[in-house]
Amino acid sequence: MPDQWITSVGIDIGTSTTKMIVSRLKLTRTSSALSLPRYDIVERELLYASPIHGTPLLGEDEIDAERIGELLSQDYEKAGISPRDLKTGAVIITGETANKKNASRIVHLLAERSGDFVVATAGADLEGLLAGKGAGADRRSMHTRGAVANLDVGGGTANVAFFARGKPAGTVTFHVGGRLIQVDPAGTIEAVSPSLRPWLEASGFAISPGQTVGFPLLREICAAMCRDMLDYLARCALPAGGKETIRKLMLGDPLPSVPVLEEWTVSGGIGGLMAAKAPDSLAETAVHGDIGPLLAHALRQCCERYPIRLAQPDQTVRATVIGAGMQSTEISGATVHLDASLLPIRNLPVLKLDISPHMLAREALLKEAAAGVMRTAASLFEQDASPPFALALSGMKHCSYESLQWLSDALAERFREAFPASRAMVVVCENDLAKALGQSLDRRCGGRPGIVCIDQIRVEYGDYIDLGEPISGVMIPVVVKTLAFHNRTVGGTHA
Amino acid sequence: MERTISLERLVDGVLTELEKRIAAAASPGGDEAGGMPLAPVDLFGPAASRVPDPKWEEGVNELIAATPARIGVWRAGTRPLTREMLKFRCDHAAAVDSIYGQVSPAILEQYGLFTVETRYENTENYLKRPDMGRIVTDEGVEKIRSACRMNAQVQIVVSDGLSASAVDANLRDVYPALLDSLKAYGLSAGTPFFVRGGRVAVMDHIGDILQPEVFVLLIGERPGLVSSKSMSAYMCYRPRKGTVESDRTVISNIHQGGTPPLEAGAHIGTVVKKMLEQRTSGVNLDL
Repeated sequence: MPDQWITSVGIDIGTSTTKMIVSRLKLTRTSSALSLPRYDIVERELLYASPIHGTPLLGEDEIDAERIGELLSQDYEKAGISPRDLKTGAVIITGETANKKNASRIVHLLAERSGDFVVATAGADLEGLLAGKGAGADRRSMHTRGAVANLDVGGGTANVAFFARGKPAGTVTFHVGGRLIQVDPAGTIEAVSPSLRPWLEASGFAISPGQTVGFPLLREICAAMCRDMLDYLARCALPAGGKETIRKLMLGDPLPSVPVLEEWTVSGGIGGLMAAKAPDSLAETAVHGDIGPLLAHALRQCCERYPIRLAQPDQTVRATVIGAGMQSTEISGATVHLDASLLPIRNLPVLKLDISPHMLAREALLKEAAAGVMRTAASLFEQDASPPFALALSGMKHCSYESLQWLSDALAERFREAFPASRAMVVVCENDLAKALGQSLDRRCGGRPGIVCIDQIRVEYGDYIDLGEPISGVMIPVVVKTLAFHNRTVGGTHA
Repeated sequence: MERTISLERLVDGVLTELEKRIAAAASPGGDEAGGMPLAPVDLFGPAASRVPDPKWEEGVNELIAATPARIGVWRAGTRPLTREMLKFRCDHAAAVDSIYGQVSPAILEQYGLFTVETRYENTENYLKRPDMGRIVTDEGVEKIRSACRMNAQVQIVVSDGLSASAVDANLRDVYPALLDSLKAYGLSAGTPFFVRGGRVAVMDHIGDILQPEVFVLLIGERPGLVSSKSMSAYMCYRPRKGTVESDRTVISNIHQGGTPPLEAGAHIGTVVKKMLEQRTSGVNLDL
């Protein structure tokens, strides 16, 4: 099979801005001619980047779906692309926009309207990861010993992703953003985001809408915000969250441990403003009607106080949308078992079964583990969903034919017992095993349910995955939506 | 003098320890047929950095995890460490054993494979005269004619080639997975058998005799210091005398640390199906 290009779209609807990109991804066989086929994305080419649109809102808490639809149709036209050409990609609602009342409906609507297999995503963790990849922090971390953090600071939130030796090592989100306080050139506060109020209170800043404030106070607020965030990231505030105000600034729980940073990059709208001249007055600050320029300057100054190198990201304001469009897709192994009539499948929750070599060698243990995971599944997922979930299997590097038979027997039997109405069963193996396992399951199920069994994709309990349509009939694009690094039992068996 | 004594003691100590471990590794697997205990690879534990005080420990470990090559093995003066030297010799011995070894009769019996021989005569001659490993003996030809179905859609043959241990280690996974895969595609297999002392091109001679559509030869590969148990699957559409090497398709490096045996077995079925559809193999096959 010759090289293939697939077209991918990324759409990012943020607190203050909305943007989209179109890119193409090159798939090339990366295994030798004597090995099993394996394809990887080896090149990513940006074809079109939209202008930065202001995010259209209907009042305070609703997104203007119609207007977003119009903007996107114009961009598709300018890009010279029809949604039908799109093979993969992601729509993401970021920052505070995700709290709007119609956010989730819109993101799914857009995903479905945008082509065969464009997925809807949300969640600060995933957003931080995609922005980090778009900014190039994952790549940078391959060249450093210590970890690299990318801080994607936008209008509503700062999404921080850590990468160590090319791999994601955690994410954390702060209520730090340029649009959290809106102010006019005269210094009148027009709005203060509810998410920032607890921190303002705890830090002893009393500001409320209608009040007029001076430039020094705003500067002080921005500096304090940056200091609290960076203190946490630079491990200056250990034990984690020891300082009351830092906890108030964080969205969600602190990380169990913060990696030691060697380098950090700042992307997002604020990252883009950091190179600009520092604002000296209220008038210069409020050019967008918010504290953005001032926050950018405060962040740049604050970064210099830590022994961590501040590097230039590949992308600033478009980091998230580039990440969503160009870095969200993975390719499954090319020896898999696919019932093409069942694809694409969107938004499938993952349940994981970790198999130890000890378990693999013992029929009773293996069958009990399979039965256990299906019992858990039956209690977690709806009976009539089809497929109800994706079963992730790991630890099967040295699987024998005999063990494969035991496992297939148990999985096929227990799945049909637990989900008699399901027409599809989805299995995601970490090791290269999917064709053998898929054939084995299919022989037992005879099409009821149909089997989609893919491999060389790493997922964890709590992730959601989207499975695209087959490429050349042998592999599929997969988007893994990591929802959380926190509360994750490392290496735990959920059986 | 002091130093000589301590060195001897050290070597003795290592050897005693090795003997103990070999005995321990060999004793529980009493049901293992074939007798001779081949050197268990994990005798030395997983590969780990021997560099004392590395400047960047994680970096070394990352590199070691990325390759089966002997890196980060350190040294004593200008020589290898005893442990690494013994590991090297152990791996070398395993490679030699796999060439001179015999496939376990229990495995051949388990899958109902009868045995024929090529004209290789003995292992020494087999190594010197590859051409003799490509021709089945007259006796073997008779056996094949009387036992096998002619014109099979898929003819599977197993051979020890250069590594009997490759067959012992992988056939139980590759072969049944391959049969399942053929069944899943609705393909039928002819009568399988085992060729002792075979070379890849022995499929041409057998192809002339049985005239199958597609030939699958599962054969032990030339052993190396990384793996002595590596198997290849050579596949060919209508092999016959005069078939050129570019007409053969191969999946190689099949062992626990390389191409996964189960997945290889399952994928061979897919390749065979494409050969039947496209009526060709080797470089002309569009995979």
